[in-house]
Amino acid sequence: MRFLLISICLLLVSCASYPKKQHFQLDNSVSKSIENPYFSDETKDYVYKASIDVYDKHFGGLLIIKKINEQEHRVVFTTEMGNKLFDFTFTENHFQVNYILDELNRKMLINVLKNDFKVLVSDNLQVINTFSEANTNVFETSIYNKNHYYYFENKQLTQVVRTKNGKVKVQFLFSEINNHLADQIDIKHHNIKLDITLQSITQ
Amino acid sequence: MRNLVFLFLLLSVTMQAQTKMSATEAQSLKTLVKRQALTTKTIVSDFTQYKHLDFLSNDIITKGKLAFKTPDLVKWEYTEPYKYAVLFKNETLFINDEGKKNQVDMGSNKLFKELNNLIINSIKGDMFDEDAFVITYFKTGKNSEVHFVPKDKNSSKYIETFQITFNPSGDVTEVKMMEPSGDYTKIVFSNKELNKPLPDAIFTH
Repeated sequence: MRFLLISICLLLVSCASYPKKQHFQLDNSVSKSIENPYFSDETKDYVYKASIDVYDKHFGGLLIIKKINEQEHRVVFTTEMGNKLFDFTFTENHFQVNYILDELNRKMLINVLKNDFKVLVSDNLQVINTFSEANTNVFETSIYNKNHYYYFENKQLTQVVRTKNGKVKVQFLFSEINNHLADQIDIKHHNIKLDITLQSITQ
Repeated sequence: MRNLVFLFLLLSVTMQAQTKMSATEAQSLKTLVKRQALTTKTIVSDFTQYKHLDFLSNDIITKGKLAFKTPDLVKWEYTEPYKYAVLFKNETLFINDEGKKNQVDMGSNKLFKELNNLIINSIKGDMFDEDAFVITYFKTGKNSEVHFVPKDKNSSKYIETFQITFNPSGDVTEVKMMEPSGDYTKIVFSNKELNKPLPDAIFTH
């Protein structure tokens, strides 16, 4: 019986929501929608030198992101020498693979990439809850039915955290920010050994 | 009326820009390039690469240096806007990505092996393999342009045509790789020097 109690207690603790664990204060007086400005300018060609470390392998290439119109983004990955590895189209409710190299055409990989890049290109999000802590505002949103927390420090988006059952799954870090352009973006996966580092070479 | 004349002029210029070669002209270009390739022991050159994606406002421009030493040493090095070098040596592809070193054994990778051969041959211009490509010859002003369409279905999935431009002395000045989607990679060579002695140190990883 005592065991049962302990395990129920443990269960309750481990199931506590992410904001509760982080001791965030609920504060729903602020905005109902937020913007991610980093890939939102239709006049810009966003080009990043990408480094991908997956398990013990290291890959490089160029990640190219373009906002085509209000509803659509293109995301293309090429090798440094220009060979196209994949080409995706994202719209509000639709995702399309325009091209993918046969060797990379794996459903699991495409899903990981789809989920990650959707976060980069989602530039307007509905807020579910708002929390605050010192000079940071944290906004709870949902992308593909997964909880995402957007951190704005001094009104600048610095981090997005995807969680599941109150645990951090993926972290997106934006740094070296100038004029709505994040020169450095780090995507860190906590459940699989996959890190993506992006360094802007936008011309 | 003036517009019409202008349009006509433009049309005749663009039509003149690329005409098909006669069989004799094609044969003499082939001989010239092959002879040039045979006497070429080393090449150093600067290059500018234009990656064209239809949906972008501008091409992505990268720059670098190329070094080649017969029979099969190639170093392809990007210097702007990032540092990235690939060295083809002894069936191995050595990669230096901003100091992060990596290597790929090409002996086990057919795709890389083919890529290596294509790079070496396109630098020298000597891709006149009728078994592997459907080849078409054009004149563009003083220069020649040759289109190589891979016959192998597997390669043509990545690259639909290689378009190589030669100057009047049979040197490669431009390589354009067209993808089936219409996007392409164009590499323009400049400051090309042939048969300059190259120290082996250039080709170390």
